[in-house]
Amino acid sequence: MSEVLAAAERAWDPADLVAAAASPHSAPRLRIRMGVGDRPLVGLGELVFAGDAVVQRLRDPVVEEVRLGRHPAPPAGTLVEAGVPLAGLRRPAPRFAAGGRTLHVTPGGVLRAVTARHTETVHAPAAGKVEALGPAGVTIRADAIGVGGVLAIGDPTFGRLVIAVRRPEDELPLPEINVGAAGAILVAGARIDVEALTRARAMGVRGVIVGGVVGRDLRSFAASEARQRASFHTSQSFALLVLDGFGKRPIPPLAWALLLAADGGDVGISSDPPMVLLDAATVAATAFADRVRVVADEALGRTGRVVEIVGRRRLPAGAMAMVARVALDGAGPGRSPEERLIPLADLERLEP
Amino acid sequence: MTAFPPVFFTVDHGTASTAAALIVSVGGRFRLTGSGAQPAGVPVEPLLTGLAAEVRALDAGLLAGVTSPPLEWRRIESATRTPPRAVVCGASSASASAAEAAVASSGWKIVGRVGPDRGQAGIGTQHCLDPDVELIVVAAGDPLGKGEREGLANLVNLVAAALDRRDDGVDVLLLGGAATSAAALPGERVVLGPAAATEPDAAPHPLLALLQTLAAAHRDRIGGTSGRPDGRRALIAATRSLAIRLDRRVELVDIGASAGLRVLADSFGLRGSMVWADAALVPPEVIDDDRSADQVLEWSTIHADQASLRDRVRNLALAPWRGVAGDGSRLRLAAARSALSRLDAAWHLPDEGDRPADYGADLLVASGGAFAVAPAPAVAMALLDTLRRPGSKALALDHARILGPLGGLDDEDERGRLLDDLYEDALVPLGSVIVATGLRAGRHLDALRLTTSDGATSQLELVPSAVQLVDLPPGVAATAELTTRDGAWLGVRARHFAVAVVGGLGGLLVDTREFPLRLPERPERRRDLLDAWQRPLWAGADL
Repeated sequence: MSEVLAAAERAWDPADLVAAAASPHSAPRLRIRMGVGDRPLVGLGELVFAGDAVVQRLRDPVVEEVRLGRHPAPPAGTLVEAGVPLAGLRRPAPRFAAGGRTLHVTPGGVLRAVTARHTETVHAPAAGKVEALGPAGVTIRADAIGVGGVLAIGDPTFGRLVIAVRRPEDELPLPEINVGAAGAILVAGARIDVEALTRARAMGVRGVIVGGVVGRDLRSFAASEARQRASFHTSQSFALLVLDGFGKRPIPPLAWALLLAADGGDVGISSDPPMVLLDAATVAATAFADRVRVVADEALGRTGRVVEIVGRRRLPAGAMAMVARVALDGAGPGRSPEERLIPLADLERLEP
Repeated sequence: MTAFPPVFFTVDHGTASTAAALIVSVGGRFRLTGSGAQPAGVPVEPLLTGLAAEVRALDAGLLAGVTSPPLEWRRIESATRTPPRAVVCGASSASASAAEAAVASSGWKIVGRVGPDRGQAGIGTQHCLDPDVELIVVAAGDPLGKGEREGLANLVNLVAAALDRRDDGVDVLLLGGAATSAAALPGERVVLGPAAATEPDAAPHPLLALLQTLAAAHRDRIGGTSGRPDGRRALIAATRSLAIRLDRRVELVDIGASAGLRVLADSFGLRGSMVWADAALVPPEVIDDDRSADQVLEWSTIHADQASLRDRVRNLALAPWRGVAGDGSRLRLAAARSALSRLDAAWHLPDEGDRPADYGADLLVASGGAFAVAPAPAVAMALLDTLRRPGSKALALDHARILGPLGGLDDEDERGRLLDDLYEDALVPLGSVIVATGLRAGRHLDALRLTTSDGATSQLELVPSAVQLVDLPPGVAATAELTTRDGAWLGVRARHFAVAVVGGLGGLLVDTREFPLRLPERPERRRDLLDAWQRPLWAGADL
């Protein structure tokens, strides 16, 4: 019997206990959400290209009511145009002051619709095929590879990728965001603050990709975006994609390698799911066999190699957890190679 | 009854982490020989093989009779998934509130509330069209309340119009008087239920059972647990079985990454149960909402600027298994405290005839990933801080998370037999707590006299408004006698009490703080006070 167990143990690699980093998604499904009054501008099965208009969205929608009288109720979700009598009804047919979509008829015979005087357009972040079309959104199967993030704010966008920092742990200096970056999607390193985001928006940047963001900056920027949307000024789409979490967090190595490979090419940012969309032929130039990355605490972002699984150890603050001895690289200023005991939960393998 | 093999694994697949344990028959009795946990999504096989290797290294004789490799050993599994989402439409605000409480306490996450007003027609339709919404609840009083008739008709038209546009099939639950409108809705997915009680409680009742059945049916439809028994329902079953086997009132709280669970059972059966999505370790709302993050931080003892701490809470929501050392452990337990306090705020039991509801329990068991990497005494203090009621009880921790898998077994006898063998190994004794309120500071000293089962005695002077730690090792039973001059409140008021207590890793905690617990409003004072209470229980930890 011990032979059976011993054979199983020999085939066992302790490194398998370390979670693998998320792999890039091949041909990801992208969802572009629609409000109740929005209308799709594409059909089911249609091929779209990056930048194609896919959804017409109502700005500042309101609920409007008209009395139907003796007219039959139109089907729920019927499109209405501003000032145009409802299609299919005898004259004088009711009409709404602005365009949108019908909701329902109240028991008192009042037809409700959600309408808006202004609309804006949402564009496809990547080429692909419309795979699903429903009242709540459009789903596109993208002809791209998607590198997932943890959070995206803003609308889907696309543009030329510009790596604006030298290393994944760097931060983008404010003066380096200028009009030369108009139309680009900037890779901004480990963190971006609200001033840099606002400046990027003002300079015509289409999107920003970062490793981390401070929640307070995110909140300020979201408020600024809401104010901009509330104005009558129509602005181009802009998205912020956060790849790793909150605070200052270096861009994960595999994502960094893929972004480097895609530098200068056209890429997109999807907000649902949050991901950057790269050309399907993009291949990372770096191999990460047996490499791990520290994903929490003071060694956050450092990479290295598992020397051994040490076993269960008591950690600072008293918790017990499985721990590995990791040889950390010395890359970066002030960082020399060293060995540390790190909980397995705080490590991730860079290759599956 | 199925005969169990001499060696098997239990595996609890949580939404954020997976826990496994190796059970081996030793001398005709099943024993827990090893356990471990890892982030969800990592293949479980290396963990299982590693457990077998650890146990063999510890005592090769334990597995001497085994002739197959570990990955062929039987696995008893359970799995939890993220709660399904529901929208609640109320013909009146009273009906909506009652329905929300019932829906929320049965394992559904409420993502939208819709009223009959014109202003909500747009957002209400948006919620009902959302393909991620799996249940639309339309609630009204039974009989229809004043003014509900028109509101109900409006809501039913709104829902019917939305359903006309959805082609993915969504369950619609009509509660109370809303059932009169069933004919206006497409029939395939319409379910009728009783009106929700104005003050809903956690006791078993038809609406709770119906909502749980709908959640289970949805889970089966999407195959969310891959055919494994649902972990939360399994924990409810395990608690009931444990109460019967021990002939005690047993309470269980489980704080997971996607929901919290609370169960109370006694030897007669289930007294109450509640699955509460908002009692998840860190609610997803913290990502967008500073106030939600601040609610978690109200229990934190970490000194740092608020913006950084909020971001740490957000990172905990994104990856609950990370950051297990140092401040990470304390932050996780602060989040667990916050979740437990939300769970406690929503926990109501019905009165028993002319007597008020009995919230007491002899044994309180903690389970779930939230407690996985915290020192046992600190877990005891977290339970005391958040679930405290005057009286005494023993505390235990389901450290290897085996109660879920065992509760998933269909056969009550089989489950009971395994629990008989395993509960001492499975439940780490955290100790006992005595919550005695109403003590007054003064010339006359109140005292606690502890007499252990081997006759040793010790005396402690009781300090009002404090938490005192008395050393009482695991396995030691004792009688605690409280003598007060002006009396104390332990569920009843008296001057002299004698209560049975058991030892544990946290010893005996004597809590004379006021009830309910009130903490200072100012963050710094609050943090310092929490730190002062908690510090002795992180003894040996490098804080």
